Amino acid sequence: MKDMWRDYDPEGFFDELMYSQHQPRSFSYKLLDYLQGMEQEAFRQRVNESEMEMLERGITFTVYSDAGNIDRAWPFDIIPRAIPKSEWQRTEKGLNQRIRALNQFIQDIYNEAAIIKDGIIPEDVVYKSKGYRPQCQGMTPPHGVWANICGSDLVRDQDGTMYVLEDNLRVPSGVSYMLENRKTTKRVFPELFRLLNISPVDVYPERLSQMLSSLRPDVSSPRIALLTPGVFNSAYYEHAFLAQQAGLILLEGSDLLVGADDYVYMKTIYGLERVDVIYRRIDDDFIDPEAFRPDSILGVPGIMRSWRAGKVAIANAPGCGVADDKVIYAYVPEMIRYYLNETPVIDNVPTWLCGDPEQLEHVLAHLPELVVKPANESGGYGMLVGPHASEEKVNEFRKLLVENPTNYIAQPTLNLSVSPTSCGDTIAPRHVDLRPFILSGNSVYVTPGGLTRVALVEGSLVVNSSQGGGSKDTWIVDDSPFAEAE
Amino acid sequence: MLSRVGERIFWLARYLERVESTARLINVHTALLMDLPEHREMNWFSLITIFDGRQAYFENYDRVNEYDVMHFLLADTNYSGSLVNALLSLRENARTSLDVLPESLWEQINELHLLVKGELSTIGNRRRRQKLLLTITERCQCIWGIIANHMSRNSAYDFLLVGKHLERADMTSRILEMTAMLVADSKSDNSKQYQSLLWATLLRALSAQQMYIQEHSSSIKAGTVLSFLITDQRFPRSLCFSINALGKYLGYLPRGEAIIERQAKILSTVENYDAEQYPADSIRLLMDELQVSLNDLTSEIVKNWFYPDYSAA
Repeated sequence: MKDMWRDYDPEGFFDELMYSQHQPRSFSYKLLDYLQGMEQEAFRQRVNESEMEMLERGITFTVYSDAGNIDRAWPFDIIPRAIPKSEWQRTEKGLNQRIRALNQFIQDIYNEAAIIKDGIIPEDVVYKSKGYRPQCQGMTPPHGVWANICGSDLVRDQDGTMYVLEDNLRVPSGVSYMLENRKTTKRVFPELFRLLNISPVDVYPERLSQMLSSLRPDVSSPRIALLTPGVFNSAYYEHAFLAQQAGLILLEGSDLLVGADDYVYMKTIYGLERVDVIYRRIDDDFIDPEAFRPDSILGVPGIMRSWRAGKVAIANAPGCGVADDKVIYAYVPEMIRYYLNETPVIDNVPTWLCGDPEQLEHVLAHLPELVVKPANESGGYGMLVGPHASEEKVNEFRKLLVENPTNYIAQPTLNLSVSPTSCGDTIAPRHVDLRPFILSGNSVYVTPGGLTRVALVEGSLVVNSSQGGGSKDTWIVDDSPFAEAE
Repeated sequence: MLSRVGERIFWLARYLERVESTARLINVHTALLMDLPEHREMNWFSLITIFDGRQAYFENYDRVNEYDVMHFLLADTNYSGSLVNALLSLRENARTSLDVLPESLWEQINELHLLVKGELSTIGNRRRRQKLLLTITERCQCIWGIIANHMSRNSAYDFLLVGKHLERADMTSRILEMTAMLVADSKSDNSKQYQSLLWATLLRALSAQQMYIQEHSSSIKAGTVLSFLITDQRFPRSLCFSINALGKYLGYLPRGEAIIERQAKILSTVENYDAEQYPADSIRLLMDELQVSLNDLTSEIVKNWFYPDYSAA
C-alpha cells in the first residue's frame, strides 16, 4: 500500500499520526508500519468490509433536509486516530476539572449567584442567555450536579496544543458512534489490537447506567428510562443503541404521565409503573408543555413539578444549557479559578466577546480572518468562517455583529490538525476534532479518547455529521516504555 | 414492559411470520402451476384471493398474468399486503424496539431488508425469484432461531410468540380456504385428476408434506390432509397447534383472563371440526368464521395491553 501513501503531505498542519511527511510519531509507527505494509487491494477490501458492516448493522443518522429519507449511513474512515496515553492523562484531568467547575457554576447561578455578586461574570450574560431557565431557581439536583453527560469538543492548533472549542451540555450525541467505530475496527483490523495496547471504550454503557442510578440514592434499584423524541429524531439510532446497551427503558413522551401524587409513571402492560430516573434526549424547551413550550407534544406535562419535588431525577438537569452558551464558554477558565482555585489544565480557544466594545472593534477590523459564532446554536449552524466566506457573507455578519453584539463571540480561525484518511485511491490528510464524553454523578468518568470527527472534504474544517463529516475510531495508545502488547 | 413496545413486538412477529409464509406460498404455487397445463392466468389470481387483494389489484392492474401478480404481491409499495411492505413494517418495528431485542436480531432483519431491496428488480425472472424467495424463507427461520436461542422468556418473548401463532393460524386458514375453493371449482373430469396435486401443494405450502407422510403414509386423501392441517395436535402449523400455543403464551401475560376465554372458545370450535366428514367446500365457511374471530381477538389484545384506559390512575 506504499503507493497510496507516496504523495501524503500534511502541508504544515499538525498531523495526528505523522511527525513529518514520511516520519510516523513514536506511538503510531506500528500502526503505520502495518497499514503501509498492506497490499493496496487488501486495504481496499477492508474498507469495503467496514462499509458493509456499518450498513448491515444499520448505523445511521438523519439529515433533516433529506425529505422522506429517514436515515443515511454514517461515513466511517477505517484509519484510526491515535493519541499517546501520556498526553491523554493530562487531557482527562483537564476535562474532569472543567466539568466540576461547570457544574458548580450552574448550581451557583440557580442558587446564591456568588459568581455574579463577586463580579466575575456580568449578570446579563447569565440571565439573558437562551439556556437560562428561571423555573430552575432554588433547585439542587442530586450531588449538586446538573450536567451529568457532557461532550466537550477538543481541537488542536498548528503547534499541536489541545484546546476546548465548546462544551455540549444539553443533549450531546455521538457516543454510540464511538462504540460502534471501535467494534468495526476490531472486526476489520483484529490483528492491530495485538500490536498495540489500546484503552478499551466499551465500559461506557455500564458507567452511564451506574451514573444514572447514582442520581437516586434514595431508591435501592431505581427504574431508569431514556426519553427520546422518537424515530424521526436524527439521533434515534443512538437512543435505541444506548438503551439496549445500558439496559434503559426506551420511551417517548406519550409513554409517560405524571400522577396526582407528582410521581412519573410509564404505561406498561401491567398498568402504570413508576419511573425514577430519566435520561432525556429532548431539549428543555420540549420537556414539559406545562413549564416550557405549550405546543410541545414530545414531553410530559407536569414532569418539572415532579423533578422539583425530587420525585424523579432528570439527566441532564433542566436549565443546565445555560453553561452551553458560547458567551458563557469564554468565562470557563475564570470559573475554574473561582470555584476550584486551580489553573485550567486545558485552555479555551482564544475568544473575543463581541459584547465588549473594545473587543468588538478588534473583531470587526479582522472579520475576514476570524470565526464568528452565535451564542446559542449547535451543529455548526449560523456561524461565519471568515477565510472561507464570500465578501457578501462577511458583510452580512458585520451587520449582525453591530446590531446584536452580545449574541456573538469570535475566535481565530484555527489551523485544525489533520490525520491520515482513506480518500478513494489515496491516503490524504483531513482535518479532525475530538469529542470525549464526561459522565458526572457521584463521581466523574471521562471516556478514554472519544469520538473523532473528520471533515471528509479536502480543505474543509467542518466536521459535523450534518455537513459532510465522518468519523474515526480513536485510540489511546499506551506509550510508556514498557508497554508492549503480548 | 411498555405497552407501546408490546404493540411493536406483537406486530414485528406477525410481519416476520407473514414474510416467511408469503415467500413459501408463492414458491409452492409457482411449482404447482408448472404442473398444471391450463387456465394458467386464472390460477395466478388465486394467490391474490388468499390475500384478499382483489380490489387493490384491479385498481392498478387490468390484466392477470404472472409478472403483474408477482409485482403486486412482492414489490408493490402501494399495496399494504405486499411482501416489501411487510418487510418494511418488520424493520420499522424492530428499529423501534431495539432495547428489548437481541442485538443480532436487528442486524439480521436489517440485512434481510437490504438483500430484498437489492434483488427486488429481478422478480420478473422466475428462476431468480424462486431463489430470492427461498433465501427470504431461510433468513426468516434464522431470525426465529435467534429469538428462540437468545431471548429470555419474558413478556417481549410472549408477545412475539402470540403474534407469530396468531399470524400463522390466520395464514393457514387462508391457504386452506383457497385450496378448498380450487378443489370445488375443478369438477370436470379433466381437472379432477389434478385434485391430489392440489392437496399435495397445500401440504407443501405449509411445509407439512414430510410430517404428513410420516404420520399417514404417502397416500394423499382430502379428508386426511384437512384433518392433519386443522386438528393435528403435534404438527406446529396445524390450526389447533397454533391456537393452542396462542393460549399458552397469552396465559403468561398479566390480566389476560377474558382474552384466554375467547381463545379457548375458538380452539374448541376448531378442535371439534370433523374434517373427514365435511365436504371440502364447507371448509370455506369455517375458515371465514375463524378469520373473523382471530381478528376480534387481535382487537381485544390491542385494547387490553396496548391501549388500556389509564384515566383511572
